[in-house]
Amino acid sequence: MIQLKMNGLEIQAEEGWTLLEAARFYGLEIPTLCHNDGLTEFGGCRLCLVEIGEGPRSKLVSSCTYPVEEGLVVHTDTARVVRARRMMLELMLSTAPGSKKLQDLASKYGLTHQRFKPRDEECVYCGLCVRICEEQMDARAIGFQNRGNKRKISTPFDARSEVCRLCGACMYICPACQLRCQGPAAETDICNACLTMEPTCLEEYGELQCWMYDAGRCGTCVQEKRK
Amino acid sequence: MKKYRAHLLVCAGTGCVSCNSFKIKEALEQEIQKRKLQNEVLVIATGCNGFCERGPILLVQPDGIFYQRLTVEDVPHLVEEHLLKGRPVKKLMYVPPAEKEPVPKMKDIEFFKHQRLIVLRNRGRIDPEKVEEYIAFDGYEALAKALTKMTPEEIVSEISASGLRGRGGAGFPTGKKWDIGRQAKKTPKYLICNGDEGDPGAFMDRSVLEADPHTVLEGMVIGAKAIGAEKGFIYIRHEYPLAVHRMDIAISQAKEYGLLGKNILDTGFHFDVEVVQGAGAFVSGEETALIASVEGRIAMPRQRPPYPAQKGYAGMPTVINNVETWATVPNIIRRGAAWFAGLGTETSKGTKIFSLVGKINNTGLVEVPMGITLRDIVYGIGGGIPEGREFKAVQIGGPSGGCLPSSKLDLTIDYESLTAAGAIMGSGGMIVMDDKTCMVDIAKYFLNFLRDESCGKCVSCREGTQRMWEIVKKISDGRGEESDLDLLEELAQAVKDSSMCGLGQTAANPVLSTLKYFRKEYEYHIKRKKCPALVCKEIVSSPCHYICPIGQEASTYIAHVAQGNYKEAFDIIMKDNPLPSVCARVCSHPCEKACRAGESGQPISIRAIKRFVMDWAAKNNVRYEPEPVKQGLERVAVIGSGPAGLTAAYYLARKGFCPTIYEALPVAGGMLSVGIPDHRLPRSVVAKDIEEIKAAGVEIRTNMVLGKDFTLDKLFKDGYKAVFCATGAGQSLAMGIPGEDSQGVHHSLEYLLDVNLGKKVPIGKKVCIVGGGNSAIDAARAALRQKECEKVSIFYRRTKAEMPALAEEVDAAIEEGIDIQFLVAPVKVLTKNGRAVAIECVRMRLGDKDASGRRKPIPIEGSNFVYKLDILILAISERPDTSYIGEGDEVQRHGENIITDPELATTTRPGIFAGGDAVTGPNTVVEAMAAGKLAADSIEKYIRGLPMEHDYRLTRPSVYAGPTEMTPEEAAKARRPKTPHLSLARRRKNFKEVELGLTERMACDEARRCLRCDLETEDGKNSLGAKK
Repeated sequence: MIQLKMNGLEIQAEEGWTLLEAARFYGLEIPTLCHNDGLTEFGGCRLCLVEIGEGPRSKLVSSCTYPVEEGLVVHTDTARVVRARRMMLELMLSTAPGSKKLQDLASKYGLTHQRFKPRDEECVYCGLCVRICEEQMDARAIGFQNRGNKRKISTPFDARSEVCRLCGACMYICPACQLRCQGPAAETDICNACLTMEPTCLEEYGELQCWMYDAGRCGTCVQEKRK
Repeated sequence: MKKYRAHLLVCAGTGCVSCNSFKIKEALEQEIQKRKLQNEVLVIATGCNGFCERGPILLVQPDGIFYQRLTVEDVPHLVEEHLLKGRPVKKLMYVPPAEKEPVPKMKDIEFFKHQRLIVLRNRGRIDPEKVEEYIAFDGYEALAKALTKMTPEEIVSEISASGLRGRGGAGFPTGKKWDIGRQAKKTPKYLICNGDEGDPGAFMDRSVLEADPHTVLEGMVIGAKAIGAEKGFIYIRHEYPLAVHRMDIAISQAKEYGLLGKNILDTGFHFDVEVVQGAGAFVSGEETALIASVEGRIAMPRQRPPYPAQKGYAGMPTVINNVETWATVPNIIRRGAAWFAGLGTETSKGTKIFSLVGKINNTGLVEVPMGITLRDIVYGIGGGIPEGREFKAVQIGGPSGGCLPSSKLDLTIDYESLTAAGAIMGSGGMIVMDDKTCMVDIAKYFLNFLRDESCGKCVSCREGTQRMWEIVKKISDGRGEESDLDLLEELAQAVKDSSMCGLGQTAANPVLSTLKYFRKEYEYHIKRKKCPALVCKEIVSSPCHYICPIGQEASTYIAHVAQGNYKEAFDIIMKDNPLPSVCARVCSHPCEKACRAGESGQPISIRAIKRFVMDWAAKNNVRYEPEPVKQGLERVAVIGSGPAGLTAAYYLARKGFCPTIYEALPVAGGMLSVGIPDHRLPRSVVAKDIEEIKAAGVEIRTNMVLGKDFTLDKLFKDGYKAVFCATGAGQSLAMGIPGEDSQGVHHSLEYLLDVNLGKKVPIGKKVCIVGGGNSAIDAARAALRQKECEKVSIFYRRTKAEMPALAEEVDAAIEEGIDIQFLVAPVKVLTKNGRAVAIECVRMRLGDKDASGRRKPIPIEGSNFVYKLDILILAISERPDTSYIGEGDEVQRHGENIITDPELATTTRPGIFAGGDAVTGPNTVVEAMAAGKLAADSIEKYIRGLPMEHDYRLTRPSVYAGPTEMTPEEAAKARRPKTPHLSLARRRKNFKEVELGLTERMACDEARRCLRCDLETEDGKNSLGAKK
């Protein structure tokens, strides 16, 4: 077993586990998007970022890809982590404003403004569809094309794939092209319909102090969301 | 082995090959055959010498003579002179910038002198396609030592002790990496040589691979022995065909000699190498992406740990090092770790190769010891910035590196100091930038590269670089908002924090480092919609229009002239300029200095085109008829009727106010009327422009002296709502030399005033003028025109290049026979009976630059001489005389200069505005007019109670005139016209106007030469689309 410290707790993890697996085993919630238990890890959405190490040399890593290490010090919810997650959400929402999953995460992480001009591509390039097609459906009908800002997901040469069985797994797993919640602010860039409260501890201590993880978190210290 | 008396080493690096060095080699061989020298002289193609800017390069050994920029035509002469007659050819040698004498020997050239060659030790000296030559220079000696005398542990500890760190950029200790690889249990193990050099402007890996491929191979075999690997890959970009070719040759030669492959040197050790060609993705340089690429997958980085040394190619332990790192290894093994550790700094040992590119005199590849300062590289080896421009920044470490400003020039180069300063070592690209570089544009350029080259896996990097580029582009387009900078900084920080691999983690560096050192430039773009370097196209539109202090739409009226629409051109000029005929003659034309046509030829003769339009209008009685304005009752007083006062009054009248100008002299016009003689600006021309201004509703009262005939307070009591002080700078400065108060010594302004007012000034036969401004030249040319005058001399303490006077005026003065002596300064005036009879001067030389950016003149001791004269005219400088402002006026001054807010022309007292020379000291006509224009705007805001804020707008023409076509033949023939002048004979001893103006043909042809920069903006392009 490997000993490490997570959010101040001494924990034990099996060799080969990722930080995400260890955290979830101990009931510590870390948000994910491109992670799926049945698929290989990708590390693209950067929502599962955690802070490892201490002092000036500490850094952010994606917990879904980072293996547990002996003696590692991990914090899952520092102010730096939350700030980065908010920015990732804002960036992803700018290319997939219709995603309910992202809108919900935005509410949960207190992201209230969209500062980038939305460019609705209905995709965040998380690669879930590519991986489910290859790893679970054994088809490899779709894949990534190009790199950088020209990246897209398509079939080879954009032609109808002969190996695609139209199983629909890609659509089933997609977090971006699903229908958005038709709540009270359905047309805005960020709906924030579920956002009401925010915990005080993040501001006070630079880190969340409770692990009950729900909208409004533990509920004993919440304050009204500042406008 | 056959001996030759001379070796001709022709550089065959990619740089020189692209300038035909192979043809030079062929020509040399033929010429040597022809001269029957083939048994005495050998021609050899070598790897890159590094001094690519001077290619094709030829080095003649054993003399060490360095020839550069050769052409095939030079070859016969060179062979005959140097090889037959033994006379090295001077004109083909290297001449350092700003010097005249060539430097014959390579070792004496600054570029080579300060380098320390370890990795590049064989550059330019061996034929990279012959293993024998490599062996002859101690090649493979280290391999033999490592394989026969050292254990793997010893090799690793030797490398560790040397302090070598990865040269790919991150600087991970090589020994430590090898140790992890050596201790890894799984087999087989692999080695990879990273030659995926993708940074714009970096070419050190290519050069090493091309110049000395065996040294890389030798390093890899040594590494293989240390780690226990049996197979290696050399990953080279597909774009480096010569490197691939030479490496293929090197591998087969090494195998032939038993230096690679099975049973190397009979030691029973096997190691084989394969070249893999990369398809040119920048991200492939990241080691995990590179492994994916070698394995045949998309080059996408993955999480480390596990590190490749534990789990790399095919899941097996793999040690990846950069080309330069591998090439360093044989040197360490051969000469020992202690020797290597003796070079460089505490934490960074040895040498580093940098590719020095951009705005630098000596472009090329340099190897220098760690710890050298940036200044030594840029100014020592690099020879400084071309065209004498200013150093602005150096971008270090490629696209994800950072820009360091001049304050960091003394930074010592090592991994830690560069990181602390906000750059990275990277692979060693060094892009030097001068003051014509816009830092926002640079950030935009690198972000554009990165948004293209991000692998696209992480949101932070893919979308982050895209969004950063969008924000920076918006700022560069002049559409930036103040909140953009905060967002940009926040986003940059998030990209740096959240990305998985080195590319993403450093992708924000171009933004963060430019924001750190050049934030003001960003703010300037956002707030003022200005790009000081004149680079950002959407902001600048056409530089002539952008740079004009009064915002004349030069490109628009030029376009109208090109199409023969002179009335339209005239209206465009009149819209922004109430003194157009004056400007057409005496403007200092900053537009022509900024003109893009001047970058690769001669600027458009904008002032002459304006003169043509004004002459055409005068000849055809065309008048400017703007929308009539109803003038209200609000009165504004303008003090001074110079260009600032006239302009302010004109625009105040156009805004519906009643302006009154108070002028102290009997004539209106200020310096225009009394400071510039008729041969340059006829009185009638000034009078004509002033008449038009009066006609617009301006009252001018002459002979009214502020402080004597009226006071500031009285003006307000009389009901004036605001006062604009444009009293100019009419007080001549004294030189502070003995005798300057004696009789026969004049100041240029007083002299010109008398001449212009028609007073007789006895001038004598021999006149001497001291100074180098327009007023010195004006006085000289006026004096020459007086009957009794025979000789006029000007003494100026700097050289022609530093002279503030307009170049065309200086030339005209010389043409008229005025003797201008440069680098001469007066020491004292010699007098006889209280009258000046001669002047004692000292000769000067130029020293370093002073605060004004000009080189400071320094007296040469003992060079004094005496010059006899009848009249001495001092044209040193002037200052304002604002003694009319009293304590109670509450208008603050700095010395005699009135203090104003430069964005609003307001003084410390509400209601009183100031501008022109009274604020700035002696300045140009057009700057004074700009101050008048600004004051009119501010006075309007003040009187109407509007917010006192300057409006900053993007430069855009009011209308887009269509382009004019030019055939290629016409374009090839088009030249800037020489403005016709009155012949020397006809302008002798009279004040007739010298400049005659362009003919219609000349003006139209010149106007058609305009590049029409205004059509290159989005708006301009759209206007073209709309016209079609």
